Amino acid sequence: MGHFLIRRLAGAFLVLVLVSLLSFALIWLVPGDPAAAFLDASATPEQVARLRSALGLDLSLPQQMLGWYGRILSGDLGQSILLNRSVTAALIERLPVTLSLAALALAFAVFFGVAAGIIAAVNHNRWPDQAVMTTALLGLSVPDFWLGLVMVLVFAVSLGWLPSGGFTPFMESPAEWLRSMVLPALTLGLVQVGFIARMARASMLDTLSQDYVRTADAKGLAKLHVVLRHALPNAMIPILTVIGIVSGALLGGAVIVEQVFSIPGIGRLIVGAIASRDFPVLQGGLLFLAVIYLAINLVVDILYAVVDPRVRLA
Amino acid sequence: MAKHIIVGAALAAALMLGGAQNALAQRKGGDVVIGISQAPPSLDAQITSAQASRNVTLHIFETLYARDENAKPVPELAEGVTVSPDGKTYVFPIRKDVSFHNGKKLDAADVVASLERYRKVGASPALVAAIDTIKASGEHEVTVTLKQAQSTFLDNLSSPRAPIAIYPASEAAKEAGKIEIIGTGPYKFVEYRPDSHVKLTRYDGYAPNPKGTGRDGFAGKKEAFLDTVTFRFMPEGGARSAALEAGQIQFNETVDGPTAKRLGTDNRFTIHKMVPFGLQVIKFNQAQAPANDVNFRLAVQAALDMEEIMAISYADIYQMDPSWLYPGAAFHSMVGSDKYNKSDIKLAKELLAKSSYKGGKVTFITDNLRPNVDTATLVQQKLKEIGVEVDIAVSDWPTVSKIGFTPTGWTFWTHGFGIEPYEGPGSVMAPWVNGLSQQAKDPEIDRIAAAFNAEMDEGKRKALFDAFQKHMYDAAVAMKAGNYGVFQASTAKLKNFKPYRIPRMWGVWLEP
Repeated sequence: MGHFLIRRLAGAFLVLVLVSLLSFALIWLVPGDPAAAFLDASATPEQVARLRSALGLDLSLPQQMLGWYGRILSGDLGQSILLNRSVTAALIERLPVTLSLAALALAFAVFFGVAAGIIAAVNHNRWPDQAVMTTALLGLSVPDFWLGLVMVLVFAVSLGWLPSGGFTPFMESPAEWLRSMVLPALTLGLVQVGFIARMARASMLDTLSQDYVRTADAKGLAKLHVVLRHALPNAMIPILTVIGIVSGALLGGAVIVEQVFSIPGIGRLIVGAIASRDFPVLQGGLLFLAVIYLAINLVVDILYAVVDPRVRLA
Repeated sequence: MAKHIIVGAALAAALMLGGAQNALAQRKGGDVVIGISQAPPSLDAQITSAQASRNVTLHIFETLYARDENAKPVPELAEGVTVSPDGKTYVFPIRKDVSFHNGKKLDAADVVASLERYRKVGASPALVAAIDTIKASGEHEVTVTLKQAQSTFLDNLSSPRAPIAIYPASEAAKEAGKIEIIGTGPYKFVEYRPDSHVKLTRYDGYAPNPKGTGRDGFAGKKEAFLDTVTFRFMPEGGARSAALEAGQIQFNETVDGPTAKRLGTDNRFTIHKMVPFGLQVIKFNQAQAPANDVNFRLAVQAALDMEEIMAISYADIYQMDPSWLYPGAAFHSMVGSDKYNKSDIKLAKELLAKSSYKGGKVTFITDNLRPNVDTATLVQQKLKEIGVEVDIAVSDWPTVSKIGFTPTGWTFWTHGFGIEPYEGPGSVMAPWVNGLSQQAKDPEIDRIAAAFNAEMDEGKRKALFDAFQKHMYDAAVAMKAGNYGVFQASTAKLKNFKPYRIPRMWGVWLEP
């Protein structure tokens, strides 16, 4: 297990170095000038030059790169151009919002995805199976921004059941927090339900054809008991991996969903940073998301290795 | 005679009754949430010229002078001004009845500290560049001396672009962005949640300007009836409209034309038209061929159908107007109208033949705002008729502005001028001084702008602005397509709202 952990951590570190390089490369890749974007159209070249100098954009790229690595190694992600605060502070403010949104969406996606997968597998090649698979395909094909707007039109505008956007912190009012999160989490999670359902179905079908399940059936155990107690735990191993991938996708999807529902999370912070060329926020935000993504994958890998020892030896 | 008295008395009673009914209609209370498209980069009013910041800060902070409904500078925190005959010394008596949101009374020290701070960190340093010294010449009197006379000094002092807001001296001593948000305006700051909202509450200690008789631009009598005003940052237009329809917000800062039409048929909502909000401007890059040739520029100017451009780019919300200032402005001028909106293909071809343009593609850069892309497309189509090939390059604003402020990579560039014509002739001329926007110096513009700044006589200043506008058309320095507006939408329960450059939440109230 020790070797396995070291291997995984070394891999994660390499990925982080790559991501940090790519984050920095944004300065080359993204056209546009933060100084010109920050000032209005009537800014004089002198004003633009002054701001560029204050932001360190007049330094050579190697100098900027050394500065960037020097800062991140000391845990400093830099200062936002627009927000008048450090990038770390801006990210920490928004982290609970994005994590709670992703967690709620994940819970929703896992619950409905696994349930739909089991129903489809148990009813293999019958109408519930076909209905679940068709719905899953539809769910996978729907763009989340479109789905979000439809959700708002139905549940906020027409029915008036839920708010159309905005965010209430959990500590302020748990009930209002839940109300503000239901539609965004549904939107974010629904797309992933199809993905999990398809994987759960395939895994469950595989498990249901195993000898020990047939033995359990032959012993006359109740169908539900066989499915939930005997088949599901083993079918969950590949599903666990999918959940790890879905978690990353949820963080990525949050970028769009937070924009549609005006939720002050990391996704919205990054979109704003792109529009305003707030490079420190953009670079820091991407690195931060990468760390979270890698941490989730590491946890999934460890869980996977715990559940199935063969993984550790591979 | 008796009959006249009776009629007069009846009229007076009717007027009083009407007035009383009006007074009754105004009610205190209610919470309004305004959906705005961008988050303010800062609430330190002095350090940012972002529209999103202005939307909020002009409810909290006030300036010595502010603009009235026609954008003319009028006293706000100052009682008035005395200007020395040489135009270099301004003495401002400061109102004595004003208190900040922290309870401190406004005095000359606050004004001096605020003006000095703006000189150090203000986002539009040109506004205060002419100032030599600022001194408290009494407990409630401030004297400002200029290095040289500047006819636009009161215009500058009252500009809402990056307002020269008056802070308590203790806050004005702080660095940019580090202040407590404490002003003298009708609403006080409650909280700012990044990427979410800013909340304000009515300041019951507010002292309206006694000279004001009603709402008047950013000046006048600012009466706050609402309990709270919240600015919610909602970048998606569809989400803002949905929120208005769902009752989550009571005011939407900007809606597109089709949505305005749809909501306009529903008696739960009121559509407000803010026209003009900006000028649609098409710039030439005069640093390189072919736009460095005046005949090429004149050919383009003669060819374009500005009405077609405005009708498609800003359907239902535009005005045709040759002036580089807004209607109602003191120096609004029709000079140059003989060359405006001609769509004369024959003349354009003649002028093009005289130019050095002998074919080849030219580049039109534009940001991805739909009306700007429409403008570029219409120019491309029209210029094809006279034999000019145009390539359109669409990017986002930071990319386009980076290219547009360099002398290569573009021939045409379009975007709006919103605040400049509102600020007045000095601001309209400034982007063309030293060749800033056209990338090649224009000695005539530089001469006119310098003379305008030094000239204190109103009539002579008007003549100078006319000369500027005439030169803009005669040399086709840049082209103005027309005035565009914005649609705004509110719940019909929001009463007495009148559109202006920001959604003003004073003088308005909510009906139950």
